[in-house]
Amino acid sequence: MSRPVARLGLRSNSTAAALALAAAAMLVPANLLPVLSTESSGSDRSDTIFSGCVELWKQGLWAIALVVFTASILIPVLKIAGLCLLLLGARRGDPGQSRRLTRVYAALDFIGRWSMLDVFLAAFLTGLVQFGEFSTVTPRSGIVAFAAAVVLTVLATQAFDPRVLWAADTESQP
Amino acid sequence: MGETPSLTCRLCGAEYRAVVLEPGERALCVRCDTVLAQGSRLGPDTALVFSLTGLILALPASLLTFVSAGKLGAERLSSLFTGVASLWGGGMRSLAVLVLLCGGLIPLALLATLAAVHAQARLGWPKADLRPLVRFAHALGHWAIPEVQVLAVLVALMKLGSVVDVRLGPGFWCYCAMALSLLIAERSFDFDSSAPAGGSGAATKP
Ligand SMILES: [Zn+2]
Repeated sequence: MSRPVARLGLRSNSTAAALALAAAAMLVPANLLPVLSTESSGSDRSDTIFSGCVELWKQGLWAIALVVFTASILIPVLKIAGLCLLLLGARRGDPGQSRRLTRVYAALDFIGRWSMLDVFLAAFLTGLVQFGEFSTVTPRSGIVAFAAAVVLTVLATQAFDPRVLWAADTESQP
Repeated sequence: MGETPSLTCRLCGAEYRAVVLEPGERALCVRCDTVLAQGSRLGPDTALVFSLTGLILALPASLLTFVSAGKLGAERLSSLFTGVASLWGGGMRSLAVLVLLCGGLIPLALLATLAAVHAQARLGWPKADLRPLVRFAHALGHWAIPEVQVLAVLVALMKLGSVVDVRLGPGFWCYCAMALSLLIAERSFDFDSSAPAGGSGAATKP
């Protein structure tokens, strides 16, 4: 893999691999730590990303629960799995897979942004729900870990150079 | 590639010679199916018009009331930057900066860059001068995500609906319109605006 990469002067995929690994590690605290605390008329509750989804589901907001689950849990995991697939594919260098893997890359590039949903949600709720003792929302440390994980997955996708998937093809051309 | 304007596929690096596209026509990379360029249905000035519209809309979007929320007689007005300010005040500064960048400053920078690229192309500047700007626009594209902020506000409203009395303000609608303008400007952003006649770049294999 490193031979054609070096010859074409492409960005290094080891950076992408390192960033994807860091993102995967960051997802652990992001999912275990609470992301938001809600204080409402004396009752306190802290939610992790997952318990927040469950709470929405219990309120009967199924569609919203699914949207938040997809953006905050499914997409980050899919992105890291997809990056692993791309990095392995680039290492193997099978020209028959180039087109399919390029589609995977384009899809990752497109869905990645939606995982920022929870970060915007936390920011918006924190800004809006400040009614003193009646109702107050406070962001917790989990959201910082989550934001870091999302930023790392975006950086990893950007660090990955899809042209390495076509390295064999480009070499055969004059 | 000589004097002929050339296009490089963003994903696989294949090189193409630019030709003029009809409105509504798209040029795909023969190797990986990526859209290389598209002739906008709304004419060659679409990207310029919508990036300028987006820039203008950014002003009311950031000044007018975004959302107002009432609970037990207490009313709270929030603007686009209220969340950012609360995060900053609460000590989560990195998060505040991230939200400010992705939801506000980078979309603005991208609109300004797209406007600059297309305005320059209209003035007949040589293509070589545009390439760094085009690359800059692509880099910004990953981080300009106002549409995600719009979805977050809608999700928050559904979530709060039963607890708090929430109303959307004009600032939010201007922000939505700005997000839409950015989307249209990005979509009709052909990669070769300095190509002759109408400015729509497209592709054939050299
Ligand atoms: Zn291509």
